[in-house]
Amino acid sequence: MTSVNTSSPTSRRHFLAGAGAVGAAALMSGCVTSGSTGSSSQSSGGAVSLQSNLSSPQAKSAMQDLIAAYNKRGGTKASLNTVASETFRTQLPTYLTSATPPDLMTWYPGSVADGYARKDLLLDVSDIWQTGELAGYSDALKKLCTDTAGAKVFVPASYYWWGVFYKKSNFAKWGVQEPKTWDEFIALCKALKAKGVTPIGLGAGGGTAWVASAWFDYLNIRINGAAYHRELLAGKHSFDDPQVHKVFDKWAEVLPYFDPNGTALAFQDATTAMLNNRTGMMLIGTFFADAAPKDQLDDIDFFQFPIIDPSVPVAEEGPTDGYFASARTRHKAQVKDLMSYLATAEAQEIYLKGSSGTSLPTNPKAKDSGTPLVKKGRALIESAADVTQFFNRDSSDALQPTADTALTKFLARPKEITSILTAWQRDAQKIWSQ
Amino acid sequence: MAVLTANSRARRGRRRATRVPPVVLAFVLVPLLAEGFWVFWPALQGFYLSLTKWDGVSPPQFVGLANYREMLHDSVFHTAALDTVLWLALFGGLSVVLGLGAALLLQQERRGVGFYRAALFLPVVFSLTATALVWQAMYQPDGLIDRTLSGLGLGHLAHPWLADQNTALYAVIVPALWRQIGYVMVLYLAGLKGIDPALYEAAKVDGATRWQQFRHITVPQLSSVNAVVLSVIVIDSLRSFDVVWALTRGGPYHSSELLSTYMYSTAFQSLRLGYGSALAVVIFLLAFGVIATYLVRAFREAD
Repeated sequence: MTSVNTSSPTSRRHFLAGAGAVGAAALMSGCVTSGSTGSSSQSSGGAVSLQSNLSSPQAKSAMQDLIAAYNKRGGTKASLNTVASETFRTQLPTYLTSATPPDLMTWYPGSVADGYARKDLLLDVSDIWQTGELAGYSDALKKLCTDTAGAKVFVPASYYWWGVFYKKSNFAKWGVQEPKTWDEFIALCKALKAKGVTPIGLGAGGGTAWVASAWFDYLNIRINGAAYHRELLAGKHSFDDPQVHKVFDKWAEVLPYFDPNGTALAFQDATTAMLNNRTGMMLIGTFFADAAPKDQLDDIDFFQFPIIDPSVPVAEEGPTDGYFASARTRHKAQVKDLMSYLATAEAQEIYLKGSSGTSLPTNPKAKDSGTPLVKKGRALIESAADVTQFFNRDSSDALQPTADTALTKFLARPKEITSILTAWQRDAQKIWSQ
Repeated sequence: MAVLTANSRARRGRRRATRVPPVVLAFVLVPLLAEGFWVFWPALQGFYLSLTKWDGVSPPQFVGLANYREMLHDSVFHTAALDTVLWLALFGGLSVVLGLGAALLLQQERRGVGFYRAALFLPVVFSLTATALVWQAMYQPDGLIDRTLSGLGLGHLAHPWLADQNTALYAVIVPALWRQIGYVMVLYLAGLKGIDPALYEAAKVDGATRWQQFRHITVPQLSSVNAVVLSVIVIDSLRSFDVVWALTRGGPYHSSELLSTYMYSTAFQSLRLGYGSALAVVIFLLAFGVIATYLVRAFREAD
């Protein structure tokens, strides 16, 4: 404190100059920030801006190929702006409500899109669904892209599937078969455990707690059916209903076979554990293959989540990805042109070629990557009586953290399920009443 | 440079004038304007938002004090508040004790002491998120810590440190502390350098023991540094976010939740921006309250 009194005028002057410089820098950086947000969110010179959350290297370059191919056709031009997926997720409401929004954005159809459509934030693109290749899309997809008011607000581009993945060589070595029913599944778990293998890997730690929701989703659609599942997630039932208790009773039956580190490892580490033969199998989506070594991919196979109640129509999780446009776009005609293009077989094949190739095109005429694994996955979804998206996509991104808390707690303390479900319902109610 | 010379000429010209030179005025007002626009205005908006219900999309809805009333019955808020107090006590207390200890050990100019000072200060230079990634790898099942334990024959202690509700909070404090100690040490080193050696010599002549010297010279002489350290620690504790978010995201099931992480997840994951703003206001009041009380007391003593 005394040093201030003894400091020379020179140092004080330096301090003032420094403070002035800092202030000016702050002002200038302020200008830069506001300038860049202005230009990134509103396309310049008539080009349609596409804001993409596909930030993993393969997917990003595939998107660049796709936009380059579109621009080569002449006519409308498009520009791609890739944002880190976590940033994109938190910023999406801001994008949609800003006065100068990006024209087109990557996101999910169904309940999430409908939530924005009900707030009049999405462009009605029903007309492009009447003609061209979109008219040939399946009825299930048409329904998925329609909002509660009956307007189409979404264009799907690709989907993937979830299944219980395992290594063929390991199952052969252990002398076990793919199970079809819940009892066979439990018998398989017992057999693996007897051989000293941890039967089920999870991967709900290290920031990917949402992976555990796949177990909840599948058990719920197998026991209570897809219709009940969607209603539950929409707030029409309560998480402390007896039906939901049944889900956790079934889950508790296989809990002893779960990897005790299930909530400590992220899904990437959990899949590595499976590929290194430390765990027997895991319920996961095909996206895990992006990180798996290429030479292991041929050894990977999956089976359908076991049937629990044969009287419940079989539903599968087939999350769909695609695009919606902002209602405030100033390029309505151009953005619709781009959306129609993104729905073509040509566009979807360009994307699949550039990306890891484990997802499936939504266009019925587009060719998938053709590997046995992808063919099996396509058959799984096409044979399903109903297709659900995933916990957050069938409800909202805001509801996901409530599930993460409830499910990780259940995995650690299954005996406290009654209080866990009461707390889950209370947390979910806060989100629904928002 | 032009600004500098203009400034000095102005000083010389108006040595006896009471009017503040316009350049100095500009230096004060321009940053104040920038600060007002980029800091105070958003902060005031935050206060307003805490009185609303807002999902970030629809227009905010005024709800009065409902958000604050909700806090009274929110068990997660209670956990987060308790954890924040625990964090303040452990993280703050230990970093003062260990930082002062390190400063006392390293204050003498001996050969190689610069190396140790630099080594202790080095973690401050790293981004806390990068630090957290390294620690996450160490805490992993089969990570460095578990393997060291089993190598020492303590395999039964191996543990999913970050995934167990009983250890998660403490496992997160360690990396935060690892960084903070170096920072506090540097502050105290500077303070120790400012103490007049004559005081110690006089004490030695009077036959004071080492402990008496520490208790009656070092501690009182460091009181001005203490004010700085206290402010730094309270602010750092209450805004501790990056390391917790990177390691546990407040989990498992809220067991390592701090007010800051709860504020973030409420506002940006649950999209309850009104309630999130109310939490931010509470954090602000806590930080401001603690520091203001201390400063008022310190100034009163100085008078």
